[in-house]
Amino acid sequence: MGKRYDAIVVGGGHNGLICAAYLAKAGRDVLVLEKRDLLGGAAATEELYPGFHFSTCSYVVSLFRPSILRELQLARHGMQLLPLETSFTPLAGDPGLCRWPDPQRSRREISRFSARDAEVYPEFSLAMTKMAQLARSIVDAPAPDPTSWNPRELARLLRLGNQLRRGGAEVMDLNLKLLTMSAVDFLERWFESDVLKAPMAVSGIIGTYLGVRSPGTAYVLLHHYMGEIDGAFRSWGYSKGGTGGVSLACARAAESHGAEIRTGAAVERVLVDNGRARGVVLAGGDELSARTVVSSCDPRLTFLGLVGARHFDESFVAAIERYKLRGSSGKVNLAVDRLPEFFGREGTAHLRGDIAIAPGIDYLERAYDEAKYGDFSKRPYINVVIPSLLDPSVAPPGKHIISMFVQYAPYHLAEGAEHWPEKREAFGDAVVDTLAEYCPGLEESILFRHVLTPWDLEKEYGLSEGNIFQGELSLDQLLFQRPAAGWSRYRTPVRNLWTCGSGTHPGGGIMGASGQLAAAALLESGEL
Amino acid sequence: MSDFDVIVIGGGTNGLTAAAYAAKRGRRTLLLERRDVLGGLAAGEEFHPEHRTDGVLHDTAGVRAWVARELNLERHGLVRRAEEPPVLLPATNGPGLELWRDPARTAAELAATSPTDGAAYGRHREFLARAAPVLSRFTDHAPPDLHAPGLGDLLQLGRSALGLRLLGKREMMELLRVVPLSLDDWLGEQFETPLLEAGLAAPALHHTYSGPRSPHGAASLLFAECTAGAPVAGGPRALVRALEAAARARGVEVRAGAAVERLLGESGRITGVRLRGGEEITAGAVAASCDPKHLFLDLVPAAMMPRNFERAATAYRARGTAAKVHLALAAYPDLPCRPGAQPAAIRIGEDLETLEHAFDAVKYRRFSERPILDVRVPTLESPDLAPEGHHVFSVLVHYVPYDLEGGWTDAQRENLLHRVLARLRLYLPGIQDAILGHELLTPVDLETRYGVTGGHLHHGEQALDQRLVRPFLGCARYATPFPGLYLCGSGAHPGGGLTCVPGALAAREICR
Repeated sequence: MGKRYDAIVVGGGHNGLICAAYLAKAGRDVLVLEKRDLLGGAAATEELYPGFHFSTCSYVVSLFRPSILRELQLARHGMQLLPLETSFTPLAGDPGLCRWPDPQRSRREISRFSARDAEVYPEFSLAMTKMAQLARSIVDAPAPDPTSWNPRELARLLRLGNQLRRGGAEVMDLNLKLLTMSAVDFLERWFESDVLKAPMAVSGIIGTYLGVRSPGTAYVLLHHYMGEIDGAFRSWGYSKGGTGGVSLACARAAESHGAEIRTGAAVERVLVDNGRARGVVLAGGDELSARTVVSSCDPRLTFLGLVGARHFDESFVAAIERYKLRGSSGKVNLAVDRLPEFFGREGTAHLRGDIAIAPGIDYLERAYDEAKYGDFSKRPYINVVIPSLLDPSVAPPGKHIISMFVQYAPYHLAEGAEHWPEKREAFGDAVVDTLAEYCPGLEESILFRHVLTPWDLEKEYGLSEGNIFQGELSLDQLLFQRPAAGWSRYRTPVRNLWTCGSGTHPGGGIMGASGQLAAAALLESGEL
Repeated sequence: MSDFDVIVIGGGTNGLTAAAYAAKRGRRTLLLERRDVLGGLAAGEEFHPEHRTDGVLHDTAGVRAWVARELNLERHGLVRRAEEPPVLLPATNGPGLELWRDPARTAAELAATSPTDGAAYGRHREFLARAAPVLSRFTDHAPPDLHAPGLGDLLQLGRSALGLRLLGKREMMELLRVVPLSLDDWLGEQFETPLLEAGLAAPALHHTYSGPRSPHGAASLLFAECTAGAPVAGGPRALVRALEAAARARGVEVRAGAAVERLLGESGRITGVRLRGGEEITAGAVAASCDPKHLFLDLVPAAMMPRNFERAATAYRARGTAAKVHLALAAYPDLPCRPGAQPAAIRIGEDLETLEHAFDAVKYRRFSERPILDVRVPTLESPDLAPEGHHVFSVLVHYVPYDLEGGWTDAQRENLLHRVLARLRLYLPGIQDAILGHELLTPVDLETRYGVTGGHLHHGEQALDQRLVRPFLGCARYATPFPGLYLCGSGAHPGGGLTCVPGALAAREICR
């Protein structure tokens, strides 16, 4: 065994890279190991078809912590976010609803469906923005621990309680509703028109195995209002060069501080001696030694795969075994030779944001019902973006990329997850057929199609059960319970083994908070 | 000078409880019931010549011992049964399962098919028993005031937090983990017998507008199971009789057939009621046990209603999902899965997937092909409800929408009844020949007859948000924004079912 690193980070996704960058910045000797030949994990850009650079998995950036952008000087390392400004919901045989940055224009569009909704819309945004500010303080700090008798923890709980109380009864009440209600029930307190409610409600179900009517889905609505790009609240962004651009900038930042990054280096297992991690074994059998191992993989892969159940006590293993992953979404990427045309819409302005195939609440709920019983939705919810419109560098001139996030595609098919490969193209057909109902002629424009099922996300990207957030963002798996009760502070039951992926607090999305907070906790622990 | 100190609107179990408490505190109290019989959803009714039910809601296990004690209900004839009779979960391919609260007896039932589930059920009941004191601290006390928390509220919150913490780190974490889970997840972690899972899940899902896969189902189960005790001998009818006797003994004036048309208001204050027919009665306080939507949207003078509050009342969710079927039977039909048995309670819903499918239907404003049935046979305990040898089946049918697509036509009613009978025939093949008469109450019928908005039998969905702040902000502690007006029914904390708690806690608030 050769050199002994201060830390080995397993997985070169954005969280792993951010964690590595912070550790390197603090002067530690860090090595990042990525299984694939390409960095970025689920935030990678890949040339799947000549001249077309796809954001294969994750495709929009919304909650990336501004402090990371600043502290790691990511702009200098090439990260650039282009705002997605519109939200378009096409309908069959109708121009549908497009929401614009200009409030007056949105108002006119909404009032076509409901005058009352148009009136309430700004009021709703304001209320949500207020809520989001509160949620931010939770995302930007380690999860509070309600079981601890430590005065510091108690003080923090009191502070949080006080912050909540200061907002007054209405804010407390609204918080309670957000945390417990279904997205639909919550939105129905404000709105009446289906075509407005449906595309708003879907943000509550992204990446979950729940429907828009399932209780507990409302709070994810906040995520939409938490997105900050350069300080501007609630804008969603697309990364120049694809989402791989985010990861590459993080990698460059890490390298600028001296971190070493290896791709094509699959970690087979974590070496543990006497309850203490001391390095990793690579797929070829090479052993690498480190004082600390930090895994950015999901909890199941980390604890039951790389480390092994025998190193943990029974109750911890039970907790990880019942940790809910069950991926529910897939991805379909298209290379096309022209832009899709939607009924009653001219020009391209309405295509420069996200396009939601979510024509109604019942439509979305039916899509979920199909998934509940183990099949993909024949008429799924699709979130479409055309990144080549914002960033022409990703496709040849005049040609475009259509990137589609699709829900539901449940990992657990009724006939078994292993049957996904034979259903992959049928799933792709369902998605293309669905979109084609809104833009006829789509099929003829397709040059290349790439379909990612949850099975592929697991096999290729190492996401257990294809869960894009490394575990459901449900109340029982958030905060001090992510990934398991008592183990939310990035530390694990194995000494010198830490975690920094989306499967830790606050988890999910291209946020970077897990990597950042894990690095801070590790440095503060004095173990490194 | 007002005619009365307190007028209670509604003579259901909560109205009667509130009235009895108010009178006990020396208030001159008048109780008004719109119908000719007292009891509301717990009233027994004749639905076929000489055949009576003992109430729309038929589970009395939630009636709290402390209310019975404080109102001396035993002296007024209330008897608690020593133990709850088991529920039969029938099967077509075996003996089915007799579900007892007692873990040993349930384990004995499971011994042949799944000894591990027998043991798991024991652990399940132990967990419920440990969680019970923490949860009943919440359900059996007035909720803390969010608006202006006083010292008392802070103390109560502190005690709740302490109770939770004193469970110990592991147990506390487990409770916090479990509460938001779906029943499918939680029960799936514990058991392997589909019939057992369905039998435990079904009662927790009723009145929640959710299915086994919906998050927070575990919370409903915890609340229901942790606060359940021994049922009342003689059922809801006996409970109503005892409450009425207790109220009258303390001097409550009871008027049945007196429908409140609207409330009287004067400079922002509620001063009394106006009855249909024009009679006006004044009082220092009006306590309404009707549902909050009916109260705020129909009875409070529209001119007094602040817009925000009206919006909150409109947004309060009360989508009824249950129908009721009453059957008059010439004899107790045979149960091939348990020859010779005559269970007092039968629950039909084979597994969680059947429950989930049944819930799916209601989301699209239809009723299920295979409804979930909760059957009680009150004539076993109270033979006087029917002629000798005859029986009454009192069946709660889930899930049935209030706003049925196309409306509740005769054909649709026929269709629903047909499906219910088909489900019963599956397990009781001889039932068809025994039927002498029937009654079907759709959610719309329940609304019309009992005045419950949306046909919702718990006066509003028992979703987590409507459980923690019930019914909604501004009236979650029995008092309302209208001085002199209080809530005291199932729409108030801690919610629906036959418990008598909202009535008791509201009366304390009124008599402060």
